[in-house]
Amino acid sequence: MKRILGSRSSQDSVASLIRGYMSGSVSRRTLLRRLSALGIGAPLATMIAARPYVVAAQATPSDLEPAGELTIVLPRSLESLDPHGAHSVEEATAVVLSMVLDTLIKRDPGTGDLIPGLATSWEATSDTAWQFTLREGVTFHDGSEFTSEDVKASLERVLELEGPLAPLWGTVDTVEAPDPLTVVINTTEPTGTVPVNATLLFIGPAAGIAADGFWNEPIGLGPFRFVSWVPDSELVVEANEEYWGGSPGLQNVIIRDIPETASRITALETGEIQFTYGVSADQLPALQENPDLTIDSTPSYAYYFNWFNAQREPFTDARVRRAMWHALDVETMASELLAGVGQPAQAPIPSTVFGFAAQTPYEYDPERAMALLEEAGYPDGFETSLQWNPDSGPQDRELVQAMISYWDAIGVTVENLEKERGIWLEDLVALNWDMNFQTNTVRTGDADFTLRRLYISSANRNGYSNEELDEILLASAATGDQDERERLLGEACRIIWEEAVGIFPFELIENYVYRTGIEGFVPAPSAIPEFATVRVPESES
Amino acid sequence: MSRYLVTRLGYSLFVLWGALTIIFLAIRIVPGDPAAMMLGPGSTQEDIEALRGRLGLDESLPVQYGRYLSDVARMDFGTSLWLNRPVASEVASRVAATARLAGAAAVIGLVVSFPLGIAAALRRGTPLDSLISVVSLLGQSVPSFWLGIMLILVFARHLQILPSSGSSGWSHLVLPAVTLAMPLIGVLTRLVRSGLLDVLYEDYVRTARAKGLSPRAVLVWHAMRNMLIPVVTVVGLQLGNLLGGAVIVETVFGWPGVGRLVVDAINQRDYPLVQVSILFITVSFVVINLLVDLSYGLLDPRIRVQ
Repeated sequence: MKRILGSRSSQDSVASLIRGYMSGSVSRRTLLRRLSALGIGAPLATMIAARPYVVAAQATPSDLEPAGELTIVLPRSLESLDPHGAHSVEEATAVVLSMVLDTLIKRDPGTGDLIPGLATSWEATSDTAWQFTLREGVTFHDGSEFTSEDVKASLERVLELEGPLAPLWGTVDTVEAPDPLTVVINTTEPTGTVPVNATLLFIGPAAGIAADGFWNEPIGLGPFRFVSWVPDSELVVEANEEYWGGSPGLQNVIIRDIPETASRITALETGEIQFTYGVSADQLPALQENPDLTIDSTPSYAYYFNWFNAQREPFTDARVRRAMWHALDVETMASELLAGVGQPAQAPIPSTVFGFAAQTPYEYDPERAMALLEEAGYPDGFETSLQWNPDSGPQDRELVQAMISYWDAIGVTVENLEKERGIWLEDLVALNWDMNFQTNTVRTGDADFTLRRLYISSANRNGYSNEELDEILLASAATGDQDERERLLGEACRIIWEEAVGIFPFELIENYVYRTGIEGFVPAPSAIPEFATVRVPESES
Repeated sequence: MSRYLVTRLGYSLFVLWGALTIIFLAIRIVPGDPAAMMLGPGSTQEDIEALRGRLGLDESLPVQYGRYLSDVARMDFGTSLWLNRPVASEVASRVAATARLAGAAAVIGLVVSFPLGIAAALRRGTPLDSLISVVSLLGQSVPSFWLGIMLILVFARHLQILPSSGSSGWSHLVLPAVTLAMPLIGVLTRLVRSGLLDVLYEDYVRTARAKGLSPRAVLVWHAMRNMLIPVVTVVGLQLGNLLGGAVIVETVFGWPGVGRLVVDAINQRDYPLVQVSILFITVSFVVINLLVDLSYGLLDPRIRVQ
C-alpha cells in the first residue's frame, strides 16, 4: 500500500489496487483517490469503482513471536491515559490507548476501512438502534472476562464526563447489555455515525474504570499490556501474547518524552530512539538524506483553514470571501513553504476522510479578486485582521505572513494578530475575530465529525448560517446508509467550498520517521500510529 | 537565637501568604479560561459555561479565594484540572527531579569555581587571571538553550558518549547539570576571586603569615573563611533561581522537572496546579534563604553575638 501511495510503479499499482478492491481490502474511496493520484481520469475511475460500500472482514492479526523493543517519541507530551474524559481526543493519549486498550470497531490504517475489533459484527436493527455482537472468549490483561457490561460502562462514562468525545454520542438514549455478547445502543433520533464513533470508544473493565488512579495504570484488552508510566519521562508497555488478534511483534514499546525537537531528531539519528513523527518541514530534507532512516508518509486527517466571521462586514458578502481566496497563490505557498508536509486541499476536509468530494480549486487570480471586491462595493479594498496562535501547525507564521502580503496586493490590509493559545481560544469561541487561521483534525476520519460540528447554524462557530446546509448535514447524520451519507457529506463539502465559508488552502501530510530495518509499519492518516504489526531487526533487539 | 528564628519564621509565613495571593490573582487576571482549554477549539460557549459551573469557576473571586486559603491551610491542594491527578504528589515528584538537577549543578558549580577563583586571585594580573576572567564571563553570558543544544550535538550526536535526553540514570544527569551549572560557575569564580583579593591584604592575613603559617593554612583558615559569606549568599539565591528557573534546561533535555510543569500548567490555565507549583517553589526559596541566614552565624561568630 505504501508503494502505491508513492506511485513508484504505476502499472503494478493499478492492477493490485483493483485486485484489492475486488477482494474487499481496498475501499471505493481509497481506490478512487489512488487512481486519480495515478492520473487515471475520474469517469473511468468511477466506472471501475461502481461497487457498493462493503465492510472488509479483515482484522489486524499477526501471529508473531514478540521480540525486541522499540523506543518511540510522540510529537506532544503524554498528559493522561484516561480515554473517556478531557484528554480523550489528544493524539498522545490515543497512541498509548490504542496499544493498551481496544475498540469495538477499528480502522484499517492503510485503507481507512472500518474493520471488526472487539465486535465481530454490527447492524442497525431499527432507525434508532445499533446492535453489536461481541467477540467471544476475550480477556482483560488481568484475566477477567470481557462482556457487554464493559462496553456499556465505558460509553456511559464518556457521556458522564462530558469531555470532547461526548458530543459524538449526543443522541444516545440508552445503552443495553441484553446478554454478555450483545450490546444495543439506542438513540433518540437516527444516528448513522455510531459505527464510526465506535472506533474512538476505548473499552475499559466495568469493574475498574471509575476507580481513583485506575487510569494511571490501566488494564485493557489491547495487544500490549501497561507496565509503567512516569509522566513527562517514559511509559512502558509489553506484549500481550493472549491478544485475540494474535501476538504483537514487539516485546516492549517504550514511549519517551523529548519535548525539544532538535533533541528528538538527534536521539533518532544516534539510535537512542527508533521512531518518531510530526517533524517539521525544515527538518525533512536532512532526514531524507540519512540512509539510516526511513520516512513513511501519508496525507493525514489534518488540514489548514482560514475562517471568515460571516457576521462582520465585509465578510457577510460571499463575493468578498471568494475574492480573498482568489488572491492567494495556494500552489506556490504549498510548494515553497509546506514541501513534504502539506499540499493544496480540494475540499473543506482532507482527501483521506470519508465524505470527501473534490471541488474546483479557486484559481490564483488577483485581477478577478479585485473585480469581485469592486462588485461587492470595496473598489479600494478594506482593513481587517487575522487571528492565529503559534502552536497551530507547520510553518504557520510563514503562511500567515505570505497570505497577508497576497491580500495586500489586492488592496486588503490585514493586521497580523498572533495570540497566546489560551487567549486565542477564548476569542475564537466568543466569535471575537474577523478572520481566524488554524489547523483542525477530522478525528474520526469521517466528515460528519468536522462538518456537522462546525458548520451547522446552531453551533455558530463562524457566523455563517445556511438552512440548506443544515438540512443536508442533519440528513447525513440520520441515515445509516453509507452511500447516502457519502453523497450528502459531499454535497455539504460543495456548499461550504463554493460559499467560501472559509479558505481551505492545505491538507497536511504526516511523516513517520524510523530507523531503517523496522518492518510492518503502516502509516496512519489519523496520526495515531499502531505498533501491533511492527517488528525490529535482530541487531536492534 | 530562638527569638531570631521565630521572627524569621513569621516573615517566611508572610512571604508564603503573599506568594499564594499574588499567584491566585495573577493567573485569574490573565485572559483565557481553564474550561475552554480543557474542551479545546471544538467546544461551544454553552459547553464551556457548563464546565465552568462544575469546576466552581463561576463563583465570585472572594469565595474562590476563601476556599482556596482554607484548603491550603488544611494541606488539601486539590486535583489538577488538566492532568486529573492530585496536585500535591504530581508537584512533589517534579520538585524532587528538579532538586536533583539543581543540586548536581550546585556541586559542579562549587567544585569548578573555587579552584578557578583562587588561582585567579593568587596570580592576579597574569595571563592565567585574564584567561579565567574571560572564561567565567563567557560562562555567565552564554544562553543555556544554545549551550544545551551544543552539548547535545557534541556529546550525544558526534561522540555518542552521553544520552541526549531523559532522566533515568546518572549519565542522563551530566549534560543538563553542566548546562545549568555554567552561569553559576561564571558568577562564583568572579566572586571568589574578588572576595579573596579583598581579604588577602588585610592585617590579619599579614599577621597569620608573619607568625609562620604555611601559605595553604593562611588561605584556608584565615582568608577563605572571611570571604564565604557573600559566596554562601549568592549560592543560596542561585539555588532558588535554579529551582524555579530551570525550565529551559528541562525542556531542552526532556527533564521531568517542576519548571516545565509550571509552564505547561500556565499554558493550560490549570489554576490548582499553577498555584501549588508556585507554592512549592516559594517554600523551597524561603527554606534555602532561612538556611543561608542561619549559616551566617556559623561562619562569622560576630553575627551570632548580635
